[in-house]
Amino acid sequence: MAGAGELRLLRRRIRSVKSTQKITRAMELIAASRITRARNAVEAARPYAQMITRVIRDLAIESEVAEHPLIAPHEELTRVGIVVITSDRGLAGAYNTNILRRAERLAKEEHNAGREVAHYAVGRKAEAYFKYRGVALEQVWTGMSDQPRYADAVAVGERVVGDYVEQRIDRVWLCFTDFRSALSQVPSVVKLVPVDARQFAGGTAFPPQYMFEPDPASILDRLIPRYIEHRLYAGLLESAASEHASRQRAMKAATDNAGEIIEELTRAANNARQAAITTEISEIVGGAEALASSR
Amino acid sequence: MATMDVDVVSAERSLFSGEAEAVFARTPEGEIGILPGHQPTLLALTSAPVRVTTAEGDHVIVAVHHGFLEVRENHLTVLADIAELAVDIDVDRAKAAMNRAIAHKQDPDYPGNADAEYERALLRLRIAEGHYTPAT
Repeated sequence: MAGAGELRLLRRRIRSVKSTQKITRAMELIAASRITRARNAVEAARPYAQMITRVIRDLAIESEVAEHPLIAPHEELTRVGIVVITSDRGLAGAYNTNILRRAERLAKEEHNAGREVAHYAVGRKAEAYFKYRGVALEQVWTGMSDQPRYADAVAVGERVVGDYVEQRIDRVWLCFTDFRSALSQVPSVVKLVPVDARQFAGGTAFPPQYMFEPDPASILDRLIPRYIEHRLYAGLLESAASEHASRQRAMKAATDNAGEIIEELTRAANNARQAAITTEISEIVGGAEALASSR
Repeated sequence: MATMDVDVVSAERSLFSGEAEAVFARTPEGEIGILPGHQPTLLALTSAPVRVTTAEGDHVIVAVHHGFLEVRENHLTVLADIAELAVDIDVDRAKAAMNRAIAHKQDPDYPGNADAEYERALLRLRIAEGHYTPAT
């Protein structure tokens, strides 16, 4: 009977959509809890950023900061490094597309200015994107984007700072997603190297009896790479929070859509059931009447 | 006894914030102990424990893997690259990390920095085993 077959088919689809909905809802909840954790990590990392900026600012008066190899710009600007932070996993709405599009625009601008571009990718999505387009990658880091540790930032920092110092690249941009709020995440670009000396303006001079060990210049030598690594770390954390927020939104939309589909299918299934019952009754009535009239 | 404000922060989080009577740390030149009213100072730290004697007389031991120490106006700040509170270190995990580091040191093809790993593992293990806990 056609009615019963259709009904079976509808019920099967309802079951399958329901199980999908369970998965998307679970992913939504996981993402929501990870946003909080990522936000806490951003907050926890802030005191270090403030203090290191203040110390460098004060040291900047003591020694010639502008001449530091990581602050003084290279004389010729021929090759530019771009670090793009994406996620390893998909199902995060437009998160990866947005940041990759931003990076692509930046690369085009640099290209139009006659500079070569070197790409560094964080996250499988950036790796896949650039590989698909035949763009050579200097290095790829994966497995850190959803819960970045400071050591991850150090790994990236050492590579790009090394390339900068060895004159393989003359500038480094960092493309990350800034977490403004749970509803708004903005693809952003900051210049990582050379460090902008203006950020260290306005320090207070050290009193003359200050004790340094080793001398101020050597301390600065060690502080500036830490500062760069910390900017990277902050970018990784902001991106992680944004990734989870995007995923939560995408999964919430998926869960809601599944709910709508289930409602529609249930309605169709009820109709089919009703139709099957009506057919059955009319068949019985028809059969009874045929028996009665044949008597 | 006089006290000073002490903050110990690592790149990832703040580990200690409060009043202290003394702080002991190690620079490339050697051990240094800092008491309240110390002259303004900026030091580089090596991989070593930082010991804080709190106003209550407790000892807080932190494994600091390189960083800086700053004193100004009776406020002491430790900026650590990587740091861990001694109480958070698990002896078994520290031992496992030590064995891994030794294996990495012997592996000529190991891509990471095996010496730095060994240094970190050694410090963590020593702290976890209580080498730096002062006798009370």
